[in-house]
Amino acid sequence: MLLAYALSSGITSGALYALVAVGLVLCYRTTGHINFSHGELFMIGGFLAFTLHVMWGLPYIVALLGAVAGSFVLGVLTDRVVYQPLIKAPPIAMVMATVGLSFVLKGIGRHFWGGQGEVVPFPPLVSPAPVLIGGVAVFPQQLVVVASVVVCMLLLTLFFTRTRAGKMMQATAENAHAAYLVGIRVERVYMLTWGVGAALAGVAAVFVAPLTLLTPDIGLSLLLKAFAATILGGLGSMTGAVIGGLLVGILEALAGTYIASSIQDVSAFIIILAVLVFRPTGLLGARARREV
Amino acid sequence: MVTLSNEPSAPRAIKRRNLGWLVGRRPALAVGVLLFAVLPLMANPYQVYVGNLALIYVILAVGLNILLGLAGQLSFANGALFGVGAYATGLLRLDAGLPFWLALPVGTAITVAIGLAVALPALRLRGLYLALATVAFAQFALWTFVHWDSVTHGTAGFVMAPVDFTALGLRTTTGIYYLSLVLAVLLVAAAYGIMRSRVGRALVALRESEVAAESIAVDITRTKIVAYTLTAVYAGVAGGLFAGLLNVVVPESFNLFQIVLQFCMVVVGGLGSIAGSAIAAVLLIVLQEGLRGMQDLQEIGLGLLLLGMLLFAPGGLVQALRRWLPGWTEPHSRGGDE
Repeated sequence: MLLAYALSSGITSGALYALVAVGLVLCYRTTGHINFSHGELFMIGGFLAFTLHVMWGLPYIVALLGAVAGSFVLGVLTDRVVYQPLIKAPPIAMVMATVGLSFVLKGIGRHFWGGQGEVVPFPPLVSPAPVLIGGVAVFPQQLVVVASVVVCMLLLTLFFTRTRAGKMMQATAENAHAAYLVGIRVERVYMLTWGVGAALAGVAAVFVAPLTLLTPDIGLSLLLKAFAATILGGLGSMTGAVIGGLLVGILEALAGTYIASSIQDVSAFIIILAVLVFRPTGLLGARARREV
Repeated sequence: MVTLSNEPSAPRAIKRRNLGWLVGRRPALAVGVLLFAVLPLMANPYQVYVGNLALIYVILAVGLNILLGLAGQLSFANGALFGVGAYATGLLRLDAGLPFWLALPVGTAITVAIGLAVALPALRLRGLYLALATVAFAQFALWTFVHWDSVTHGTAGFVMAPVDFTALGLRTTTGIYYLSLVLAVLLVAAAYGIMRSRVGRALVALRESEVAAESIAVDITRTKIVAYTLTAVYAGVAGGLFAGLLNVVVPESFNLFQIVLQFCMVVVGGLGSIAGSAIAAVLLIVLQEGLRGMQDLQEIGLGLLLLGMLLFAPGGLVQALRRWLPGWTEPHSRGGDE
């Protein structure tokens, strides 16, 4: 019973980590950079939904669309303000620039919404009463989250395999120079990638909001969980990110249930370190190649 | 990896003509040290405290610059190691009963050991993985400070007796201040020494290209270990002094804001410039004290500063100093001589 409960909550949070991790991997694959402000995009998305839904009383679907649109715009801004200007600078500069951006966003979150998400909770979408499925009590909110994440993944897969923009993104990730030579406007693809990656964080935030307290500091711990997921799955692999996300969620739920609940806060660190020591390429990652 | 600046250096011809050397780096640093030396004689206790904090951050920023600017290795763990240094020194005094002069070096040794324990497993990997591991470590260290109650005294932290300087005929605040000043001067001088040594050149070779460095027989792994060790030493000393300055150690002094604060110091000063880090550390501590209590503004301000410097002035303050002051030279930044 305890195990079933831990598993169901682990799968729920794991599905969300997967969603955030997929956004992170998407940007990494196409641009070769990890966005250290990805967690803050999530945080801002969550607070946008909070403002629209809880403070202004607009319907949930409007809040969802608003948060997604808002984080998409922030992602595009990241591309314009940070990525494009620093594209030729050393990677270390890009990392520090996204760190700088993450603190700007965190400060903005604190300035406008500091303390609010902790006081006024985000109402659940569906009835909070648990339902029994095969003898296991499951919260409907969890089912909604998992179903939505699955839908998002399917949409993303369709986007990559069926649409022109998705195929251009794949081509650019594969080889930006070759993509440029066959007439793909690589710059636009980068912009779209940052936008879509950020929008995924926004979607995840809207689903997380009813399950947790929103705080301006939520970004970093979420970013670390997504890192753990991507490293576990193998940096650069989308499928790996999904599997890694689910595993991180399940592992931390099990550790939280059977060892100590405060372990959940540092599960990311333990997983990252363990993967780095024992299987640095992750579960599905390709062998790391050295570039000269 | 290449240096951040593409700006031309000051023309060599101007150098040392007339009295140009008077406005160079060495005289400027000497004036700085002199100002810090007389500060306690003319300032109020709060100003002395800010001065002392600035000296501690000079040590931290210079140490981080060895890793970040000189060796080109990313680490987010410096704030956490700063905390480890403060906790180690403080707890050795409080619970193990060691005197401060012994607790500080032992605390520093513990900091180095913990820093290496984090860096070693990740050293086999490329920069990005190491960066990720150190971010996670920063969060883990904070978590340990809060949750390992039996050792760290938990969320509320702990209070120590002030460090006793009566043997030297000094009050505690003055004693810690001058100790910080002496250590800061020594460690800045040591950083310049390291820079000009074989080790320093190996670090720069590592930054410029790992493959090229390896081809001229630089042991990559060993050089990285040296870089992480040196930075941990600086962080440990700074942490120990910080514990001595405040006499109170609480987890939130070492929160993740340290990441942006210390990155800012290194970048504002100029990546790879020891003097730049020292100057930027003093300026930013004064700025931070000005924004005291306004966490949102501190985050937005320092975040924008970091971003703005990287976008518009990647060479940092030192780039401007080198351009406008003919006597200002910087070893190991592009176009730098000595």
